[in-house]
Amino acid sequence: MSSDGSARALQPAQGAARTLQDLRRARRRRAYGEIDWMDALYKVYVTAIFSAVGGSMLSGWVGGRPVSPGELASAVERGPALVGLVVAVLVAGGLRSGGRGGPLALQPADVAHVLLAPVPRALVLRAPALRQLRFSAFLGTVVGMAAGNLAAQRLPGSYPGWVAWGGVAGLVAGLAWTGSALVASGFRLGRRWAGASAAAAVGWSALDLAGGTATSPATFLGRLGMSALDGMPRSPVGLVLLALPAAGLAGVGGTSLEAARRQAGLAAQLRFALTMQDVRTVILLRRQLAAEGPRHQPWVRLPAGRRARPVWRRDWQGVLRWPAARVLRLVLLGVAAGLAAAGAWRGTPALVLASAAALLVAALDSVEGLAQEADHPARSETLPLPPGRLLIRHLPAPSVVMLAVAAVAVAVAMAPGGASTALTVGALVAVPAVLAAVCGAALSIDTGPVNPLEVELFGSAKLFIRSFGPTVLAVAGVLPVLAAKAAVDAGGAAAAGAVPAAAAVLMLVAAVAAWLAREG
Amino acid sequence: MLEADDLTAAYDDHLALQGVTCRVAEGRTVALVGPNGAGKSTFLRLAAGLLEPSGGRVSVGGHPAGSLEARALMSYLPDTPALYDDLSLNEHLEYVARLHGVDRWAERAAELLDRLGLDSRGDDPPGGFSRGMRQKASISLAFVRPFGVLLADEPFDGLDPPSRQALDGLVAEAAAGGAAVVLATHRLEVVGQADGCLAIDDGRLVYDGPADSAEVARLLSS
Repeated sequence: MSSDGSARALQPAQGAARTLQDLRRARRRRAYGEIDWMDALYKVYVTAIFSAVGGSMLSGWVGGRPVSPGELASAVERGPALVGLVVAVLVAGGLRSGGRGGPLALQPADVAHVLLAPVPRALVLRAPALRQLRFSAFLGTVVGMAAGNLAAQRLPGSYPGWVAWGGVAGLVAGLAWTGSALVASGFRLGRRWAGASAAAAVGWSALDLAGGTATSPATFLGRLGMSALDGMPRSPVGLVLLALPAAGLAGVGGTSLEAARRQAGLAAQLRFALTMQDVRTVILLRRQLAAEGPRHQPWVRLPAGRRARPVWRRDWQGVLRWPAARVLRLVLLGVAAGLAAAGAWRGTPALVLASAAALLVAALDSVEGLAQEADHPARSETLPLPPGRLLIRHLPAPSVVMLAVAAVAVAVAMAPGGASTALTVGALVAVPAVLAAVCGAALSIDTGPVNPLEVELFGSAKLFIRSFGPTVLAVAGVLPVLAAKAAVDAGGAAAAGAVPAAAAVLMLVAAVAAWLAREG
Repeated sequence: MLEADDLTAAYDDHLALQGVTCRVAEGRTVALVGPNGAGKSTFLRLAAGLLEPSGGRVSVGGHPAGSLEARALMSYLPDTPALYDDLSLNEHLEYVARLHGVDRWAERAAELLDRLGLDSRGDDPPGGFSRGMRQKASISLAFVRPFGVLLADEPFDGLDPPSRQALDGLVAEAAAGGAAVVLATHRLEVVGQADGCLAIDDGRLVYDGPADSAEVARLLSS
């Protein structure tokens, strides 16, 4: 019996689809009504300008020198597998995200009211899933076209062909990324099976790259993306990846509500933190989304009774509780930094930006001890130590961690046949690059979030430093790679370029560290 | 109407609920009590179908929790109000009612808003509401549609006395209409008005019986 005596009301709701449409229409109407159109147009204008400038700069840095016959042969042989590996990593990321309940971040009200209503969940979830697929398709297409644009500058083949096939490959890659996440969450693969599938996807593509073969769908997609090389469309086998979004949509009704609810709350906080440039909160929320917490037992327990410096010891105790996922992430970031640096050395200077970004992201994880002090000011501010000095004492341990990351980067850069050069340059560049990245991360943590709505970015030196300082430092840290390259191209030794550049970076790092020690 | 049989919920290595077996019949109001972290909210979420049990089962009106039939029968009032920022209160009520197949919802919505003191706020989005008003809005959404089981997690928190009275009345009417009502609460007066009491401590059901017993008083004071 129901609360109003109506037995009819206990039947599943009729016209649910129409009701959902009306709900979405009303919400869209209200959302459009609250948009400040001038502000929105201004944002589009600024985004377009930055994109055009960024694209032009990137094109300029990639350069227009056509590749040599040897480089072309290498691109033909390995290029598809390399692109395929990138696609496989995307799919793996999607699977892992789905294994934790993603990619749908639903509003708590949708979970509480709509998903608990007698309405088929697939009906409710299909719309947000399609929205997510549309977005990733758009993003993938744009990135693919941009990559095609860059490739056309150095590889043979028609420019429209490169852009078009790059767009097609990017579109399929974007759909595969979200599709894999939908499959993992809809079919409740769980973290273990999703992780295993992710590893298998990446492993398959890696084998193709290592063996110069084309067996995985991702490699075939890479081939399709490079169809402009000889003007002939390659095998469409890569399009089989479109089965992922199709399967994901078919199974979306199985998504776990608990995971969707958790994702909803965390994703909303994450968006706000990104708006506020609150890097620390972004990191913490991302870890919560990934259910990544410190280990209950440390990897190794530090012996008691040693007279190690307390801050140094505290930082290592924290590092030794890192979950395996974080350790793996730093290794992969090292690999990315090394590959990007090698690519910059081989003729795509813009890739130093990618190398810097990878090192900065790794450094943000490595300064966890310092970040914890910032999270708990009630504790750190009662310590018998000036805050700036405490900050500086938190930097040595992350620097050692980052040296290990740099060692991975150097090892990866040595791999494709440039062992002695990479080792020489790496030995000269690693320390300044590591210290610059750690300093940048410390600067980011120490100066806290910026509210872009309340202040003018260029009206305050401190805010300018806060907003751009970490990036500037990280990029400056890897510029000695380009300086070494310039010296070699001019007929000299790599050290002739790297040493003065490295010295300049070290002076910059020292200045920033002194500023942090005083201002922190 | 609500049945749990050896219900268990585990998160990683932590057992939030262990082997809970209970039954709440039609027309009864049961207070769910226990210390913070005991597992009350976990129990309600399992019954609502928001969580999947690690073991055992829970059913609403004979249907597994979370199934379409169970969702049609069950109304869940969470401890934290879940409201859209971009819908007015009336729009919230309309769509929740329509999702549950209630076409003539306007009269019921107007009555609820009036009883809860929100009649002048029907056209306002709840983004600007106070804590108490958000709770009242959440209550109105729980009662605008018919149900056979009401699961309410700390529903009286944040309410002023007239609103507490209004909620008392709504709960009493629901039980009189045959609904099974489970109210998670720390409030003595709520327990005193219930027909029965379930007490959970450290994930286990430690009491299932009348609400006016000395054992309940001891549990609430410990």
